[in-house]
Formats: sequence, structure tokens, C-alpha cells
Amino acid sequence: MTRPLVRIRNLHKQFGSHTVLDGVDLDLAEGSVTAILGPSGSGKSTLLRCINHLERPDRGYVEVGGEIIGFRPDGNRLRERSPREIAAQRARIGMVFQHFNLFAHRTAAENIVEGPLAQGVPVRTARARASELLARVGLAGRDDAYPSQLSGGQQQRVAIARALAMDPALILFDEPTSALDPELVGEVLSVIKDLAATGITLAIVTHEIGFAREVADQVVFLEDGHIIESGDPATVLQHTQSERARAFLAAVL
Amino acid sequence: MSPVAASLASAKTAESPDATTTRPIPSPEPRLVARRRPGRWAGVVAGLVLAAMVVNTLLTNPNFQWSIVGDYFLSDAILRGLVLTIWLTAAVLVSGYLLGVAVAAMRLSDNPVLSTVSFGFVWLVRSVPPLVQLLFWYEIASLYPRLSLGIPFGPEFVSFQTAHLFSAVAAAYVALSVDVAAFAAEIVRGGILAVPRGQVEAAESLGLSRFRVFRRVILPQAMPSIIPASGNLLIGMLKATSLVSVIAVQDLLGTTELIYNDNFKIIPLLLVATLWYLLLTTLLSIGQHFLERHFGRSTRVGTSSGWWRTWGAGLRIFPGRRDLEVTR
Ligand SMILES: Nc1ncnc2c1ncn2[C@@H]1O[C@H](COP(=O)(O)OP(=O)(O)OP(=O)(O)O)[C@@H](O)[C@H]1O
Ligand SMILES: [Mg+2]
Repeated sequence: MTRPLVRIRNLHKQFGSHTVLDGVDLDLAEGSVTAILGPSGSGKSTLLRCINHLERPDRGYVEVGGEIIGFRPDGNRLRERSPREIAAQRARIGMVFQHFNLFAHRTAAENIVEGPLAQGVPVRTARARASELLARVGLAGRDDAYPSQLSGGQQQRVAIARALAMDPALILFDEPTSALDPELVGEVLSVIKDLAATGITLAIVTHEIGFAREVADQVVFLEDGHIIESGDPATVLQHTQSERARAFLAAVL
Repeated sequence: MSPVAASLASAKTAESPDATTTRPIPSPEPRLVARRRPGRWAGVVAGLVLAAMVVNTLLTNPNFQWSIVGDYFLSDAILRGLVLTIWLTAAVLVSGYLLGVAVAAMRLSDNPVLSTVSFGFVWLVRSVPPLVQLLFWYEIASLYPRLSLGIPFGPEFVSFQTAHLFSAVAAAYVALSVDVAAFAAEIVRGGILAVPRGQVEAAESLGLSRFRVFRRVILPQAMPSIIPASGNLLIGMLKATSLVSVIAVQDLLGTTELIYNDNFKIIPLLLVATLWYLLLTTLLSIGQHFLERHFGRSTRVGTSSGWWRTWGAGLRIFPGRRDLEVTR
């Protein structure tokens, strides 16, 4: 078996005295899609945010592509990396947020080129690529639209294109459709589904159980900072072991 | 179907027979008429009367002595004072803002030492009246006749006399810069905090360096709230430079004082200074307007059309079809 792209080991995170992640172990195989489920406050966002070091773990580590994120091994220790090294690691990991977080003062295309420009890609190349990516997420020709001129679903698709512009091996989605009107959810999910087929590794926090069942290779259920169920969708969703997870699924379905 | 959706659907079906029986719109489509605003008419009339009264008294009251105003308006002494006021304001603005941005950045940094120092600086400077600060820098020699660099209670490495450390103008420049820095720091900090945190995280997740996040994402979006407040600060500073006359720096107001102490033409000379301040403030306001328009361009936050247009549109004295945009 090949080494997983992402290996999370014994990850702990506390905010003050509140333990949010309490020893999470998780592997994401290269090219796989992982759906992360769990009730509100169970630590799903925190888990994703530790993967690109938007949060600094208190214990344990996240390894992506064989490199520990945010820390450099030094003998028996892990020393936090410099901001510059962390930025370089983040550049290889895409992230899509619940509330899109597009740069409000930039057009769709300008949002998409921001990352590549920071990597030194020439403006023309980045612009051309942005147009292609917009077309790929079904927004051909909307290069010059500002976020305020786009619907929620369109904004989220621009955000996905923005993540794709960095050619990431891994994209993290934090409830990408939770802020959308029901009729816009489908358009975003179908873009994500297309991505799943391209070999990019995806980790998706979602409450769309149907989507998870259809697209995910792996479903994990988080509760109070622990993974209490994990496995292929059929097993976790149909033969749910724990009472807690079953209650949650019944409520969301 | 959720219960809410179900109840909405049933409400709809219950309503629909009703909807078909409502009266159809009469065939010549009715014209929409905007609300009349008689209060605005009254306001305009009152305003015009007041303005006429002001103009009348300015022109007819001989005590204003406009001919003397004319004599001094472009006199050498006044122009020299004016030039000093302008460059002092400009110099103070530049260094005050450079320092202020640094102070704001310190305050927002994770480093507790830096943010405490920044907090202390702002607290102290804002608490001490600018006049006192001015005199402090001017009189620093009497407070510390000798400054030395060395280890506290230990050996000294360098030392020098402070007697002529600051000329009056230099003291004014330092004191006002420090004062502007403290206020600018708070304005900049407020502007930065107004930028949604999520956008900063999105930029970080794209691997942008901290400097790049600041320059490309934070600063452009902080500007729309920084500019109007800075306009206030700058105009306040323009007038606050007149404080320097107490340490015998001859700025615009100081020069006029000097002249009227001599010839007792107090009112016309004050008018000369006032007219110049009016002119400078007008220029600054125009500059501010264009800056706002530049930065408001894409976010549509704080886009201000010119005040004249805003005023004209808001007044709506002549409500017409165009106002309501019923025409295509
Ligand atoms: N920066 C923070 N400071 C303090 N507490 C935090 C912080 N971020 C998250 N928390 C707390 O950590 C807990 C887990 O948060 P997290 O956002 O990971 O949950 P979640 O599973 O994503 O929930 P949701 O479904 O509501 O998004 C919550 O109780 C939250 O209040
Ligand atoms: Mg969350």
C-alpha cells in the first residue's frame, strides 16, 4: 500500500481549558475523498484548520506529502517553522470556506490570480489560467465580476477556482454549501464531484449525507474531538455503530 | 418537506384563488408619483435667507475692513507663514503616518511586548495636551541638560548637551508628528480590524506572506474607512500647527498675530488667516474626495459621489419620473 498523502497523528488542540481535538488519528489516501461529519462544535473546522496550520496543534502532528506541517523535526522535537516556510507549505494546500471569503475588492479573476502572482507566475499566464478555471467551474466570461455581483453559489465556485489555481495536491472544504440557498447547493456539489474524479485529494466537512455517500471514499464521524466512526460510506452510514452517530445521522437526513 | 416549507406551500394555495380575483391593473398603466417633500422646500428657503444675511453683513459691515484684508492677503510675511504652515503640515503628516502605521502594526502583532509598548505610547500621547507636548520637546534642554548613552548606573558611552538639540521648528515637527502618530495609529488599527478576518485567512491559506496579505488584502480594504478619518485628522492638524506660534515659530496664524500686535487691525488680519485656512481645507477636502473615490471603486463601500451630486439627488425638490426610474 502506498503511503497516504495526509497522515494525522494524535492531534490535540485546546482553546483555553476547552479541549477541541483530543487525539485525532486519520489518514487520507492520495486521490481519495474524505467526508468529515459530526455535530456542531465537535471540532471539524479545527481539524481542517490544523491541516494547513491556520491553527497550531498543541500535541501530535499533521504530515502532508511526507512533510510535517508547521513544524520541522529536530532530533526528538518538532520546532515551529518560520512564517515564510509555513506560507510555502500552505501554498500547496487549497482551502474553501463556508463563507467563501473572496477578496471583496477584487474581481473573480483577480481573486484567482492572487495566489499564483505571489508565487511569481507572470500576470498574463495567471490571467489566462484564471479564465480557464472560471470556465471549468461553469463561470466562463465572469472574469470581471466582483464578488458582490455574484450569487452565493457562484462565489463559492470562484473560491474553488481560486484554490485550484495553486495546483494543490489537497483541498480542504469546510462546509462549502452550508451558507447557500438550497437551490444553489447542487451547482457547487457538482463542481466538487468533478474534482473528485481528477485525482486531487479532498477533505470535506459537510452535512450533505447523500453527497458523502455518493462521492466519498471514506467517511469519518467526529464527536467531542474524537473520531468515533470511520470507514467506507456504506459501513459508516448504513451500519452505524455508535448511538451518538446514529442519532446525528437521523437528525440530518 | 420541512414543516415551514409545507406551511408556506399551503399558504400559497390558500391565497391563489384570491389572487385571481384581485382587480386587474387598469389599462393605462398608472404613473408612480414620488412623495412630496414640503419640509425640504422650507429648509431651502430658510437656508437661502440665512446665506443672504451672512453675505450682507460680511459686505456691508465696515468693521471687517476688506480693503486691509486685500492688502495683507498676498503680503510677503503672510505668504512666508503660509509656506511654513503647509510644509510643516505635510512633513508632520508623512512622518506621523509612517510612525502611526508602525505603532498600529505593533499593537496588532502577537508579540506582547510590542503591543504593550504601542498601547502605552498611544495612551500617553493622547492623554497629554498637544501644547504641553510641544513645550516639552522645546524645553527638553531644561529637563535633561545632558543626554548620554550607556548602561543605567554604569559607564556612559556617548553624551551630549541638549541645549540646542531642537530648534523651535524641529521641536514643533517632532511634537506634532508624535501626536499625529498616536491618532493615526488608532485610525489605521480600526481600519485594519474592519477587514473581515475570513479574507485574511483565505489569503494565508493561499500561501501569501504576511506582508503580502497586508498590502494586497488588508490595506486596500482598510483604506475606505481610514481615509475619511484621516481627512479629519489632517485638517485638524493643519489648524493645530498654529500652536507653534507659542514657541515663536512664525506660521500662518503666528505671522498674523505678529502683524496685528503691531497695527491693531485684529479682525482683518484674522480674516486673512481664516481665508487661507478655508482655501487649504477646501483643497484637502477635494483631495480626500478623489482618494475616497479611488479606493471605493471596487468594493462599493464608501463610494461617495461628489457632495454636490449627493445633495442634489437627496433633496429631490423636483420629484419626477426620472427620480423613480419608471422610465426604461
Ligand atoms: N479561535 C477559537 N477560540 C476559542 N474557541 C474556539 C476557537 N475556534 C473554535 N473554538 C471552539 O472550539 C469548538 C470546536 O469548534 P469547531 O469550529 O472546530 O467546530 P465545528 O465542528 O466546525 O462546528 P460547526 O459545525 O458549528 O462549524 C467550539 O466549541 C468552538 O467554540
Ligand atoms: Mg465548523
